[in-house]
Amino acid sequence: MTATILDGIVLGLQFGILAVGLTLVYGLGGVLNLAFGQMAVVAALVVSLAMGAGIPTIASIGLGLLAGGVFGLLLDTTLLRPVYRRRGEARVLLSLLLTLGVAFVVDGLLLWRFPTEGLSLHIGGDAVEILGVRMRTGSLLASGIALAAFVALFLFFRGTTLGKAVRSIIQDEEGARLVGIDPNRMRTLILILSGALAGLVAVTRSMTSPVTVTQGVSFTIFALIVTVVGGLGSVAGAFLAGIILGIVNTVSSFYIGTFLTYIILLGAAALTILLRPSGLLGVPE
Amino acid sequence: MLEVRAFSAGYKGNDVVREVSFHVELGEAVMIIGSNGAGKTTLFRAMCGLLESSAGEVIFEGEAVAGMPAQRLVRRGIGFVPAERHLFPRMTVQEHLTLGAYPKRPDPETISIVFDLFPRLAERRRQHAATMSGGEQQMLAMGRALMSKPSLLVLDEPTTGLAPKLAHEAYEALGVLRRQGLTLLVAEQQVPLAMAFCDRGYVLENGVIELEGTSEELASDPRVRQAYLGVT
Repeated sequence: MTATILDGIVLGLQFGILAVGLTLVYGLGGVLNLAFGQMAVVAALVVSLAMGAGIPTIASIGLGLLAGGVFGLLLDTTLLRPVYRRRGEARVLLSLLLTLGVAFVVDGLLLWRFPTEGLSLHIGGDAVEILGVRMRTGSLLASGIALAAFVALFLFFRGTTLGKAVRSIIQDEEGARLVGIDPNRMRTLILILSGALAGLVAVTRSMTSPVTVTQGVSFTIFALIVTVVGGLGSVAGAFLAGIILGIVNTVSSFYIGTFLTYIILLGAAALTILLRPSGLLGVPE
Repeated sequence: MLEVRAFSAGYKGNDVVREVSFHVELGEAVMIIGSNGAGKTTLFRAMCGLLESSAGEVIFEGEAVAGMPAQRLVRRGIGFVPAERHLFPRMTVQEHLTLGAYPKRPDPETISIVFDLFPRLAERRRQHAATMSGGEQQMLAMGRALMSKPSLLVLDEPTTGLAPKLAHEAYEALGVLRRQGLTLLVAEQQVPLAMAFCDRGYVLENGVIELEGTSEELASDPRVRQAYLGVT
């Protein structure tokens, strides 16, 4: 049981970072990015291809994160421009349709050009014993990176003026404009960050299990579920919900079966919407 | 300093304000008075770049700025305090003032001017805006706008929702700012307060300027006396 829960935490930390990438873009721009998982997969592919070309692992990972960021930048400066000109529901709907289209196109291209490509990073070293459970170094490294990313995000949003500027748009866009903050520039910045975070999760996931080019949709779904449970626009909520759902995921896979895990996770999201529509740490509208 | 010429604006093709013209000179305090729904808020929001205008010109310090978005106008020196305040509910007083100076670092001198003006804000430095009273929120909205060191401060109904005593205090604070050389443009429903404070004014009714003059001229106009000063 302890082993299952620890595995759940490892998985949950990745879920959490994934959700942050999705929820920030939603909170800032009212855009729900259904091509989010494809950002992760493209980043994984770039890392894999770069390593295949003989580039050192760390540099390859850097290229992967860069690719995720560029994906976000391209999305922001092309397809999302007309989306930002609309308000409210029209904006959310248009963003759903356009990014779903992007997801299909990217999935199709990947399956056509790189059907067997995938990324699995083997982290050497001996297993470490924690709470009587032998943890693989890959799991520990992945968790360490995810935790460091959370700390960095927290410091960015609480401690820097740029981070505060991003939060101010989430809280009151007109107020932000009145102090001289340009929402469009902040959205561009956050889409780049979102892509890089997706790439980071692809990399840390590949330290424990292979990431293949067909996993885009499942990345998006996990991010969506964690976002709903944690509360839209909340980094701390994503962290908490990520860990809870990570544990739910591994425990139910282990004791009930993998085939039911998705249903149980979606059930958790549905229950959250019923009982606490703004999520665990979200702010009621 | 500010000249607005034949300015029209509104929502979805229906102009709420039509061909409005007025001007504000350096160091003046000017009021736009009018009843609820006269178009004061639409006029200010469009002029300050939160709403698109449909026609006309806005010249600020010699530069045509009509259609320029709010985030650029504030850097040119127009500070706007909207009636709905638009504070950041889950941010502290300190964070509001820091962001008020965006993208520059907050100037300690400006912070001390704001805290001298509103000692309550200094006491509540770490409090979130959502937990503050209406009067304190109004002070915070003004304080935040001052952090960008505007040369013109535009206020839309600064006394909305305030008890009479607090409304007086708001105007006392504006008086201090004026003596420090700030130019002011105020929209107000509480006409006697604004009239005692401003040099000149315009009466906006149904989206057009009906009257203009010095505060004394307006105060002695029978229509103004009847409609806004409660004198029959």
